[in-house]
Amino acid sequence: MLKILLPTLMLIPTAWLVPGKWLWPTTLLHSLIIALISLTWLTNLSEVGWSSLGSYLATDALSTPLLVLTCWLLPLMLLASQNHTASEPINRQRMYVTLLTSLQFFLILAFGATEVIMFYVMFEATLIPTLILITRWGNQAERLNAGTYFLFYTLAGSLPLLVALLLLQNNAGSLSLLTLAYSPPMQLTTYGDKLWWAACLLAFLVKMPLYGVHLWLPKAHVEAPVAGSMILAAVLLKLGGYGMMRMLTILEPLTKELSYPFIIFALWGVLMTGSICLRQTDLKSLIAYSSVSHMGLVVGGILIQTPWGFSGALILMIAHGLTSSALFCLANTNYERTHSRTMVLARGLQMVLPLMTAWWFIASLANLALPPLPNLMGELMIIVSLFNWSWWTLALTGAGTLITAGYSLYMFLMTQRGQLPTHITALEPSHSREHLLMALHLLPLILLVLKPELIWGWTA
Amino acid sequence: MVNFVALAREHWVNILVPMGFVFGWYLDKQQDQKLTAFRNKSALFSRELKPGEEVTWK
Repeated sequence: MLKILLPTLMLIPTAWLVPGKWLWPTTLLHSLIIALISLTWLTNLSEVGWSSLGSYLATDALSTPLLVLTCWLLPLMLLASQNHTASEPINRQRMYVTLLTSLQFFLILAFGATEVIMFYVMFEATLIPTLILITRWGNQAERLNAGTYFLFYTLAGSLPLLVALLLLQNNAGSLSLLTLAYSPPMQLTTYGDKLWWAACLLAFLVKMPLYGVHLWLPKAHVEAPVAGSMILAAVLLKLGGYGMMRMLTILEPLTKELSYPFIIFALWGVLMTGSICLRQTDLKSLIAYSSVSHMGLVVGGILIQTPWGFSGALILMIAHGLTSSALFCLANTNYERTHSRTMVLARGLQMVLPLMTAWWFIASLANLALPPLPNLMGELMIIVSLFNWSWWTLALTGAGTLITAGYSLYMFLMTQRGQLPTHITALEPSHSREHLLMALHLLPLILLVLKPELIWGWTA
Repeated sequence: MVNFVALAREHWVNILVPMGFVFGWYLDKQQDQKLTAFRNKSALFSRELKPGEEVTWK
């Protein structure tokens, strides 16, 4: 564990001491090496066992895919940001790299933690670099408002979690994930216990986000710079799903009845946010709402608590992490050329950037869960386990997938097809850097088709 | 010679991340040894490993 963590930490002095002209190549190279070393975690996946075990940190089948995704994303974020930060003073660029690196550091500690309270502290710590990224590198004045929403939604959700964890520590005597899984089921009967149950999950439901407490997400995504949107969609939302899966093993007897309203909310959210996507004019906002829609399915899969539901949720989280991050990168390549996120102002890009259209096409297909991509596997496993619970859910999940296909098509047609507006005939051609970026997003997704047990979680 | 000094001055920072890796790897190794110090030696296990037998867990 430390063999990944310490190099990540050392990236920060590297970013400050390296000569200015070498800043991006050096940090990119080193972060890519760290990402490649992190792949070694995938070699020792066992069903329930913990591996890379230390005193405070360990990996298991659930956290390993998320850890590798976290490490994989740092080089991609560096690759995506170097064009739009190039005009800034060198110290600001170094600060930017530092923030991204510290985010990876906190996320590794969060996913690797064996103590729930350490997970909680790191869960909160990731807010700080993300908030600075949004409020300092965002493009419009509304970024301050977005930062406030982001911070206060998450904090208001997670303070009850802190109280609930302290209560649990008092009752169970330990918050170690290694032992909590084997502790005898608790007698939870009173209204206080039900409140405790809700407090344990609320923070994660806000982070996911569940429909109804999702308003911070589109704002944060739209205002954040590209790296902020990428990490937010790809990894930070998954903190919520990961935390829920960890907590649900403790909350056992109550979840069966108390989770009904949340499952309904999540599935209703799939429909509603999908419908919102169909009438979006803002490209980044569309991708953000599509994230909420996919995460609704993940919430449903987790709360249903079957092995299929759990592994479907993990598969969908990883697949969505790569897909949505790729879509945000594509949106950014458009934004860097047209300086607008409005879709009608940049139509018909197939005429000017034909190779980019191929990437748009693959990413849209991945977003609408084309077979045999892992997105489809995840969705199918969740839909089947929900269907097994209640037939009625098929109306919601079925309509949800239909709408997903609809807005993915809408997004592709609006950006790539149609008449090229006269004001954008002279666009910069696409860089090899951008093609490399897209390849590094979509190749892992396609390769996962060949070895899906890497992201099956506990079921593998 | 001068070239080498210039190269070292420009690129010495590249050593930091590999150093972190080596140090982290060493600490991981130490931790493993600490956690496996009593492997197959406890009263619960209560027998000697046969010559050439693998340890029972890793």
